[in-house]
Amino acid sequence: MKQAMWAMTGVAAAALWLTGCASTPTVREVALDRAPISSKLEPQDVRRTVEKMTESLLSAPGVREAVGGTRPVLDVEPLKNRTTQHVDMVSITDSLRMQLLRSGMFRFVDKSTSGTDIEFMDAQANLGLTDQKKAIKPGQQSAAQMYLTGALSEIKTQVGRTVDQYYKFSMVLKDLRSGELVWADEQEIRKESVKPRVGF
Amino acid sequence: MKRMTTLSGAALLTAALAALTGCVETAGTTVTTDHMTGSSLVMEDSTRLRDQIQMLKVNYDEVNGLKRVHITLQSSKHRRLRLNYRIAWFDANGMEVDAATKTYRNLILEGRDTVTVTGLANSPACVTSKLRVRDLEAAD
Repeated sequence: MKQAMWAMTGVAAAALWLTGCASTPTVREVALDRAPISSKLEPQDVRRTVEKMTESLLSAPGVREAVGGTRPVLDVEPLKNRTTQHVDMVSITDSLRMQLLRSGMFRFVDKSTSGTDIEFMDAQANLGLTDQKKAIKPGQQSAAQMYLTGALSEIKTQVGRTVDQYYKFSMVLKDLRSGELVWADEQEIRKESVKPRVGF
Repeated sequence: MKRMTTLSGAALLTAALAALTGCVETAGTTVTTDHMTGSSLVMEDSTRLRDQIQMLKVNYDEVNGLKRVHITLQSSKHRRLRLNYRIAWFDANGMEVDAATKTYRNLILEGRDTVTVTGLANSPACVTSKLRVRDLEAAD
């Protein structure tokens, strides 16, 4: 009987050893769309939002009407972060622009890199290194006809050990000439985390 | 005899511990739709998921020159199901188009409820869609 107990204990210890219980952290690559690990905004939430917003914009009847077979020039403004978390809103904007660009429905300008454009044009005009016949002169860039903007907001509720976190991405596409909102949509995310009863 | 009992007990304990600490099935249910012919193929690779959800209907259309698919799923269970789904798109050569832009989305399905999931192609070149549903536990 005692021998059996020892055997059982040995096997249990071996199984635990094989499946984990290491003192050093284990590092491994995980899927981009992994399961949530906290109630904070996580990369998979951002990826889902970008995909949802892109699909919504590309399939909206209002957008089809406004585009009307042309490829209007669009600028994507960084979303405003109204949450208490640090979220890289420029990165979200970049992902959104990339997916819309791949659809081929719009042409894009980027106001945020205009300063660099001026530096290049100045250098081409003034440094004497560039053939002036080939130098790019200011005043020829396309004008944005529409712009995409939005905001991220949150509501956090904590009751006892439970934290309930709600996020809302709101986005609008505005026609600069008419001032009309061509498209608007929002993505809501709600997460809950429960703290353990005993923890350090 | 006693030795056999000991060994059986040890094997059972090992299996139970392994089941508790990992070994999650990541296979799921896939619905492949050919938007040129309208044919759909359902593959149920997970026996667990097969008992949980059923594919009821596939509709497809085109919007702004991009193909769109609507797939209706029904829960066979009375409890709430937490699933993930992803709709991938393929061109005429069977190559996946912009795989990184199509993510796994959340699907919380109430008991015996029916839900329609929609996916939009990321390019006019896409002609085939593939819905993949997996258990939330299969996510890392």
